Amino acid sequence: MRIACPFCGERENGEFTYLGDASPKRPNFAVDSGESPERVEDAFYDYVYLRDNVAGFMREYWYHGGGCRSWLIAERNTVTHEFRSVTAAPGVGASKPVQAGE
Amino acid sequence: MADFSWNTQSPLQKALVAGRHGVASAQAGVTLVEVRDLVLVQVMARRGKAADTAKAAKKLFGVDAPSTPKAVAGKTATLVWSGPDQFTVLAPRTDESSQIDAMSQAFSGSASLSDQSDGRCLIRVSGPRGRDAIAKFSSLDLHDAAFPVGAAANTAVDHTAVNFYREANGADGHPVYSMLVFTSFADSLWHTIVDSSLEYGVDTSRTRAAA
Repeated sequence: MRIACPFCGERENGEFTYLGDASPKRPNFAVDSGESPERVEDAFYDYVYLRDNVAGFMREYWYHGGGCRSWLIAERNTVTHEFRSVTAAPGVGASKPVQAGE
Repeated sequence: MADFSWNTQSPLQKALVAGRHGVASAQAGVTLVEVRDLVLVQVMARRGKAADTAKAAKKLFGVDAPSTPKAVAGKTATLVWSGPDQFTVLAPRTDESSQIDAMSQAFSGSASLSDQSDGRCLIRVSGPRGRDAIAKFSSLDLHDAAFPVGAAANTAVDHTAVNFYREANGADGHPVYSMLVFTSFADSLWHTIVDSSLEYGVDTSRTRAAA
């Protein structure tokens, strides 16, 4: 399997580390915002533990530790290992601003 | 208390035995050189300051800093891409503190600098079979079309992180590849390269960085 890093070009997968699903978003809430504790707890339980077992394309975090040391988001088909796209994760590189909530 | 002083020594002090190794044909297939006496500074643009960093680099070195994996020769230094919005400055050591002061001033406010002069070891591989030797332990595509003169790559060779780049062809017309490796891994990588080169015959030596 080879992965086309947006910075380095195509490299062997041994240079990369897999983190997991890139879809979960950290629940956004403020302490004492009036949100019910049960709902916050449920949302965090979802965020931390529950994952879809996708057969097909999913968005995943990959880390190019053996190369440019950037976090990437890849769309990979879990059935065929086909990569549809590999892009830099938000905030990678000094020229890109960090997105709120990431 | 006993007097005590630190002596600097090459990370290849033991590993590098100058001379011919492996096949003793008339011409060595691989030439392996440790390049000493370098000033090596990692330049990392700060958030939102990539353009300022590029401008400062252009002013100081007279060339555009690489924004893609490339090695660019500037006035007093070679700039090697080392990641998004960061690059490594390689210069022959003349007066280290004034060289680093000049960079500190030039990049003040736009980039963070990290002096890696004694943190990395520069190993240069050349000769008619140099590429064949490297192909045994690196997964990079080193074909001229894929990795021409001036190309660079951050990669893992033999499980070791290496800044890899291609310099101008040697006087013999064959490609010249340089590898920057962490000093503590230099010994191991050196043995890997020598072992890969034995069947072609390898000449090993150390040299000072050319001014």
